[in-house]
Amino acid sequence: MAITPAALEEGVVADATGAEPVAGKSPTQIALRRLRKDKVAMFCAFLVLVMTVLAILAPVITGAMNIYWDVSHPDAPTGSEVLDVYGFPIIGPPFNGFTWEHPLGLAPRTGSDNLAYLLYGLRTSMIVAFSAAVLSTFIGVVIGLVSGFSRGWVDRVLSFITDMFLSFPSLLAMLALAPIIVSHFGGNLDLLGTVQFVTLIVILVIFGWMSLARLIRGQVLSLREREFIQAAEVIGVPTRQILFKELLPNLIAPIVITLSLNLPAFVALEAGLSFLGLGLSDIPSLGKMVSDARTYYSDYPLFLWVPVAAIGVLTLALNLLGDSVRDAFDPRTRR
Amino acid sequence: MRFRKPIVALSAAGLLALAACGGGDGGSSNNGGEKVDRETLGNVGSGQDPEREGPVEIEGAQEGGIATVYTQVGLTTSIDPSDLYYTDTSAIGSGLLFRSLTQYDRDPETGQMVLIPDLATDLGTPNEDFTEWTFEIRDGVRWETGEEVTAEDVAYGIIRSMDNKTFPGGPGLYFSNPYFLGGDKYKGPFTSGTTEQEAVSVDGNKVIIKMSKPFPDFPYYGSFPAMGPIPEGEDDPDEYALRPMSTGPYKIKEYTPAKTLVLERNTEWDPATDPGRTQYPDGYEFKAGVQIDQIDQIMLGDKGEGQTSMTYEDISAQTYRTMQNEAPDRVVTGTSPCTYYYAPDYRKIKDIKIREALMWALPYNDLMVTGGYIPEVNAFPASQLMAPGVAGRVDIDLFGHGEFETDPDKAKQLLEESGNLGYEIKFPWRTDNDINTKSKDVLIKALEAAGFKATPVATTEAKFEGDIIDNPDSEVNVRSGMGWCQDWPSGSTWIPPVFQSVDIKELGQFGTNYAAFNEPEVDQKINEVFELPAEEQADAWGKLEEEIMTKYLPIIPYFHSGVVVAHGSKIQGYEIDNNLGMPAYKDIWISE
Amino acid sequence: MAGYIVRRLLSAALVVVLTSMFVFALFFLGPANAARPLCDLNGRCNPEKLALLTEQLGLNDSVVNQYGIWAKGLVSDREIVFGPTFHCDAPCLGISYSTRGEVTTELFDRFPATISVAIGGGALYLVIGVVLGVVAAARRGTVVDRGLVAASLVIYSIPFYVVALVAWIFFSLEWGIFPDTTYHPISEGVGPWFWGLLLPWLVLGFTNSTTYARYTRGQMVETLGEDYIRTATAKGVRRSKVLFKHALRAAIVPVITLFGLDFAYLLTGTIFLEQIFQIDGIGRWAIEALRDPIDFPVVSATVLVGAIVIVVANLLVDIFYSFIDPRVRLA
Repeated sequence: MAITPAALEEGVVADATGAEPVAGKSPTQIALRRLRKDKVAMFCAFLVLVMTVLAILAPVITGAMNIYWDVSHPDAPTGSEVLDVYGFPIIGPPFNGFTWEHPLGLAPRTGSDNLAYLLYGLRTSMIVAFSAAVLSTFIGVVIGLVSGFSRGWVDRVLSFITDMFLSFPSLLAMLALAPIIVSHFGGNLDLLGTVQFVTLIVILVIFGWMSLARLIRGQVLSLREREFIQAAEVIGVPTRQILFKELLPNLIAPIVITLSLNLPAFVALEAGLSFLGLGLSDIPSLGKMVSDARTYYSDYPLFLWVPVAAIGVLTLALNLLGDSVRDAFDPRTRR
Repeated sequence: MRFRKPIVALSAAGLLALAACGGGDGGSSNNGGEKVDRETLGNVGSGQDPEREGPVEIEGAQEGGIATVYTQVGLTTSIDPSDLYYTDTSAIGSGLLFRSLTQYDRDPETGQMVLIPDLATDLGTPNEDFTEWTFEIRDGVRWETGEEVTAEDVAYGIIRSMDNKTFPGGPGLYFSNPYFLGGDKYKGPFTSGTTEQEAVSVDGNKVIIKMSKPFPDFPYYGSFPAMGPIPEGEDDPDEYALRPMSTGPYKIKEYTPAKTLVLERNTEWDPATDPGRTQYPDGYEFKAGVQIDQIDQIMLGDKGEGQTSMTYEDISAQTYRTMQNEAPDRVVTGTSPCTYYYAPDYRKIKDIKIREALMWALPYNDLMVTGGYIPEVNAFPASQLMAPGVAGRVDIDLFGHGEFETDPDKAKQLLEESGNLGYEIKFPWRTDNDINTKSKDVLIKALEAAGFKATPVATTEAKFEGDIIDNPDSEVNVRSGMGWCQDWPSGSTWIPPVFQSVDIKELGQFGTNYAAFNEPEVDQKINEVFELPAEEQADAWGKLEEEIMTKYLPIIPYFHSGVVVAHGSKIQGYEIDNNLGMPAYKDIWISE
Repeated sequence: MAGYIVRRLLSAALVVVLTSMFVFALFFLGPANAARPLCDLNGRCNPEKLALLTEQLGLNDSVVNQYGIWAKGLVSDREIVFGPTFHCDAPCLGISYSTRGEVTTELFDRFPATISVAIGGGALYLVIGVVLGVVAAARRGTVVDRGLVAASLVIYSIPFYVVALVAWIFFSLEWGIFPDTTYHPISEGVGPWFWGLLLPWLVLGFTNSTTYARYTRGQMVETLGEDYIRTATAKGVRRSKVLFKHALRAAIVPVITLFGLDFAYLLTGTIFLEQIFQIDGIGRWAIEALRDPIDFPVVSATVLVGAIVIVVANLLVDIFYSFIDPRVRLA
């Protein structure tokens, strides 16, 4: 889900340096210390860490457990070995007891292992969300900085573009863009998977940078009037140095906050796009798993609830963590 | 996939001689979700009853109600009678809207389709060598406008079917032009610009059609809506395709291609003139483009409007399982005269050992489960092209291959012996089709296990037909998911269309020989069978099929298909027209 | 005042025009031939068929001309040729490749469904959100407040479509509380329309209200700290009157602004709702149209309409705002 203006409005950090001064500590250090004391944040961080490790270790875990999401793998069981004529697994849930061979059961009709699929799905989610968050943050910061620092027509043009992207029906546009981008590279099968993957990240970035750009621009506009920046300008410090050496350090807080709130938004959006059937066709994705499992809600509930829970827990943990990060960097929001 | 486009048959077989063989083998369409009697698969529509008269009454049937019919892919092709040649629209057209020379009716006792008269007073009168057919058009049949349907209207409709350039999707290209006198030169009223031609003439209330070669099967062709009346002068092809005029019990109220088709009662239809059709529901509403899982859900739920709904899409195995337990009386099974197969490209895969290895390698049961088919319900193991029950068919022993048997070791051994280990199989993969994407993985695994190299070639649902199936230059060397349905129950509508060679260079496509099979010896033998006396042809087709399959193995048979559909609790009399594998609309009524 | 509105209208129009150009460019400038999807329909696409369609669709023309023809269709009738000739009444957004019907006609058919979902859901979450926000602010620091804040955070954090899916499965399918959840045109009666959409509205209302609850709470807390509120309280004005009359009046303005800005988000929500509850609105139409072969006229029309809705919503909010808060006009 795209980050809503409301969440941002609340996250507006009028003055990052306004945190209470403690001798010898940078604002970031102070924020981190505050974060460490926050139990909810620590628990969520732990959850996120566990899921990240699981995602990174997915090949190792599935290898050790001898489970496969990809039914074309030579060692994966064939459909007729593990499924009945109606496509339901003959071992494990939903009709038979728990088995360690397939702790979360097998997918109906294909016999791919749900745990393995889940782990690889997490991997996809995280890679997509992380890449998209970093890239969109980068673009947002650059556009925000340039737009805020350069008065005049550059600012006006950039602001207009930002507003225009904001008034775009982003989900529709993403849905429309994806197949068009892919179709330009279509036909080449070796590339197809990669193209879909990159396309997904690209469209998330295209419609994900605006809020940060606006935020940064606002920050820069106010910082620009501050003495230390004006002094730097007067003594002839090069613009680039002012931007990156003087301004950027003061923008750490909004950047970190946006980044941490964008991560869960991109996780949700990636899953949402594949849920709508227009994401990745041949790469495991949690959203696609939910979409596949929709019709099994009563015959094979576990098949549906596993990916639903995974998306829920991941986005919840990331969001709560992001919220705590915001509180830590800007204590004034906690009223 | 539903094999919507049926048949191209180039038959001159004496079907009349076979008529006596059909029917009487017990029902092959039964309620209650029981398994289908395999022996009667394809044993359809060979019964005839030239004496049948209207009106038809169904005992206990009530009038009223609107039947909603859901489909996923339907209504995307033209419903102009001259252009009607897909199973779904053909069933709707001839069941409810368009009358033609003859028609099929389902015999409730045997479950078989019986050919009976429609606009003609009988099943037509041939001359001695079947080169001229005379049909007497009955009186009292009216258009939906109230005007009388004349022999001239019928004759014009038949002439119009010869315009295969204007109606490239229609059956005329395969039957009218090849068989009608002068059909190779006359190209129809729009392309040739005149209705002057040699084949069709009118004498009083008789329509006479002259053939360029013997066509004993004409009464069967007469059941196609293309062999019915068209109002001359009001039939601009583009406009008429959107609003064709009705002669049947229903007329079109609203039609949006690929979306909806709403039918209402045609008050001008007189049941006394129609030996086959009925008019119990007030109307039909066809809704296309509805996703399969949504249709299943409506059928399962049986709530509100769902109670008066039906579908002709196969329900999923999962839904079948549930409905068998909860509402077995709302599941209808039946047969369709179609066979699915894998078509190795004969030009590329020249060694029969590779084709045999492919037969052993294919993961039949895995594909079945992933594809959502239910073995012995809507998929029956196949080891040949002709469906069981076709007269003259011989059960073929394909190199000792068992039913749905997969033996990768045997396949590997064959590849090793012939020095083809690691042979690359390139097959189509429709990336936007979830089920096909999963089947692709299943196929890769099985092929690699059998010592092949498996390479899927990406395409999409929409480009599948054009880029892969009909494209001789495609890089694939095995076409998967191919199917063939008979036009009528004769070996002549199976063997020639699939196994007769086609000049691919000249035609730019395969015609209907998707394996690009080309053996002069086989072509020669097909022609020899056509020259046999009518009564000997059935057995000859059976023998020829055995010879082709065991000597060349041009295709890898996958399964003979069945139909498993569902309806709401108020829909009554829903049975399968097993000549089309579609609903027998003529028998449907709605209870209160 | 009038000057401001005129300026604002002009910029809104500019955004819409640019969006339409962008959408147009997206489909007609890309390396893939825009005639290809049409060509793939109804049998094999061979080079002659493709060439003919390319010619008929006017794709050989310069893009500027094509755009001009397209834009002209918005105000005057057009003839469109691919295969047969189609007459397309103004405002013409083209002929759908798959149904061969006028896109505008179908758009008007489907628009009420989307708007019904959006307006009902939007109104619901605005009301629920504001009420919860005021309650939380009034009882600041208590269990109620903390509970509301925590609950809203949790609901906000779970993707919206997951909540919708779960609600659909349990409330509609399993428990049958809302058995007939779908869109009935209001012409079939207000009752079926209301009951059919109630579940989607509730889902939209509850999930999105959390954002508004938090935001309203924040605004209220700030306002309640203002001097004039203290004065009012000190003067003995009733607490409820202070809350709803004095404080909320000031706090609601930014909330309404947010509501307007959130319209893009609301549209996203309705797309998921339409898909999950099988409501035939604009979103579902767009998704169907995007399946290969892409139905370009439909896709471009839906994106354009989405953009117009968002721009108009923002415009209305800005104008509304300028009436309430005179400072805006200076900006």
